[in-house]
Amino acid sequence: MKKIKTACVIDDDPIFIYGTKRMMNEVDFCEHILVYTNGLDALEGFKELKEQGAELPGVIFLDLNMPIMDGWDFLDDLGQLLQEDMAHITVYIISSSVDPRELNRVKDYKMVRNYVLKPLTPKDLDHVRTEVA
Amino acid sequence: MQTLTVNFLIKDSPMAVSILDTGMRFISHSRIWLKEFGITDTDIIGKTYYEVLPATPNELREIHQHCLKGGASVSKGQKFVHPNGSVQWLRWKINSWKNDDGAIGGLITIVEDITEDKRKEELLSKALNVARIGGWEFDLISNQLSWTAITKEIHEVSPDYVPSLEEGINFYRAGEHRDAISELVGEALRSGKPWDTELQIVTGKGKELWVRAKGEAEMVDNRCVRLFGTLQDIDEKKKTALEYQKVSERLAIATQAADIGIWDYDVTQNKLIWDDFMYKIYGIRKADFSGEVEAWEASVHPDDKERCQKEVERALAGEKEFKSEFRVIWPNQEVRFIKAESTVRRDAHGNPLRMIGVNWDITAEKNAEKKLKNLVEITSAQNESLLNFAHIVSHNLRSHSSNLSMLSGFLSKESRATEKASLVKLLGDASESLNETVSHLNEVVQVKTSAQEKLKCVMLYDSIKQVEKNLSVLIKEKGVKRTIKVHKDITINAIPAYLDSVLLNLFTNSIKYSAPERAPIIKIEAREKRDQVVVTFTDNGLGIDLEKYGKKLFGMYKTFHRHKDARGIGLFITKNQVEAMNGKIEVASTVNQGTTFTLYFEKAQILTAP
Repeated sequence: MKKIKTACVIDDDPIFIYGTKRMMNEVDFCEHILVYTNGLDALEGFKELKEQGAELPGVIFLDLNMPIMDGWDFLDDLGQLLQEDMAHITVYIISSSVDPRELNRVKDYKMVRNYVLKPLTPKDLDHVRTEVA
Repeated sequence: MQTLTVNFLIKDSPMAVSILDTGMRFISHSRIWLKEFGITDTDIIGKTYYEVLPATPNELREIHQHCLKGGASVSKGQKFVHPNGSVQWLRWKINSWKNDDGAIGGLITIVEDITEDKRKEELLSKALNVARIGGWEFDLISNQLSWTAITKEIHEVSPDYVPSLEEGINFYRAGEHRDAISELVGEALRSGKPWDTELQIVTGKGKELWVRAKGEAEMVDNRCVRLFGTLQDIDEKKKTALEYQKVSERLAIATQAADIGIWDYDVTQNKLIWDDFMYKIYGIRKADFSGEVEAWEASVHPDDKERCQKEVERALAGEKEFKSEFRVIWPNQEVRFIKAESTVRRDAHGNPLRMIGVNWDITAEKNAEKKLKNLVEITSAQNESLLNFAHIVSHNLRSHSSNLSMLSGFLSKESRATEKASLVKLLGDASESLNETVSHLNEVVQVKTSAQEKLKCVMLYDSIKQVEKNLSVLIKEKGVKRTIKVHKDITINAIPAYLDSVLLNLFTNSIKYSAPERAPIIKIEAREKRDQVVVTFTDNGLGIDLEKYGKKLFGMYKTFHRHKDARGIGLFITKNQVEAMNGKIEVASTVNQGTTFTLYFEKAQILTAP
């Protein structure tokens, strides 16, 4: 199984970030982990990476409910920023919401592979790895 | 000499006389004769009758021959149809004259063309027949009643029927009809007063028939010598009129019961007519207006007038029937809803002649509809808000519970003491967050379940000043300038604690999100608008991109600025609190210029003691 080079976690909850990082390390999920605490920070970070010519993360774990810029707005802006480069990025939405209106919205975004309900488990990470690799 | 005298006399005779010899040649004629037959040739002496009048009918020629043999012919009027179809009526007297020796010398004719008179007579008779007008006459001297043929026809009696006056009167229907005619005839006999009335007779065949009876008396020395008049069959017309009257009475009762007003617009005369109910529906008195158009223009709601006028024009143009609703304002300023329907009558070319329509008041239905709509809106809004709230609760609790289960999972497998300690600290943080969330939710639930009866009459200005005072330290520290243009007497329906919380949140938001490069300014204004109080709360701070965040602004846990104190709970609670006070909150903002919150409260009706 091919190891993922860079995974990105976008979530405002420090405990979730702590737990996810710990799980990723335990299952040896990827080489690098990028963390942003809201959509806008992530977008600006990606812009910077692009300008430097650095590689963008192949997998993004995205929370929906975040301050300043939420997950949906981030997806909209990311699509505009990356355009055709989007093909190399797989997004997993990780949320606590079971609101059917949010679940339905996933269909509008081709880059979103799946919607994972919190808590995230090591099993979920295994699954993601098989899907992406 | 004698002949000359005779000729001279004949020439000036006032009749159409001609004297002919046995060869039907003119010996003499009167000037009138030429005139009568329209002959321009003045010298016809010696010419034959048939040369001068080639159109003389054969029948008359035969009569001439008969008279030349010693006969005589008198006709009071005879109709001749010429080969070309034209009709001629002639009246004549033809005699032969004899010579001194007793032999027939020729003819003396007196002929008149009475075609014109006959035609008129015929026309009159036809007219009487068509109009079913018969005549009658009662001679008081001979005590004889005579009826014309049509009168007999109307009575459905045989043409040879001869009535007496009593019989004539008895043809009228027993009861009021016969009583009425007896009275009228009696009055005419006594005083000569004419009559003209509409009554029912019962014909010889037992048929009931409406007639128009007219009569006049001829008086000699204050005594009536003759009664004469006409009798017209008006049965069909009268029955139609009576039926129409019945229908319109029925309609009047129906429209009265349903409070329907009827209007009639004569397009060609540009004249509008209203029935009395129209005035009732418009709440006005007929006497107060010079005409219906003025009354309508004065009553209809100014916002609906132009539209209605256009709709009427479109109906007249045949584009769309006039079926509309509009408002009228009664003199007491009450606004009523009117429903209108109409049809357009047109001539053969499709040009509009008349527009007839109805109006009725649908205010009660409108109000009920509005109430129902409001109720549905409130209910669906509440449903929506409950559903949203359920999702918020589920989301928020799930984030914390998943953190807790994840951390406890780590902890159970962790053996390193330092890691264990940090996990325990994280567990503590997680449960603290859960606690905070639960208390937020509690706050929201309390707002949502707060009872309406808690609403009190609150002095708005005092509340603002109180909150301002509570924040005085912060205001002083940040150097916030305030302008408060709120009249001290304005009172609103509010829950005091909520109002304080709303104002506090708006104040702190404005200070928290003030622009770092300029001194914060807060402007509060209030104005009364009908039964509402509108409060605007304006700052010159960072502003919010409403195009991006407008929908989420009042959502839970939404923050839009990178600010350390942003919690995303304030405006959510504020909105709920305002709504719990039957109010409304709106926002307008420009990024880096400022934000204005507009709050709508109910104006307090009764001042309660503090």
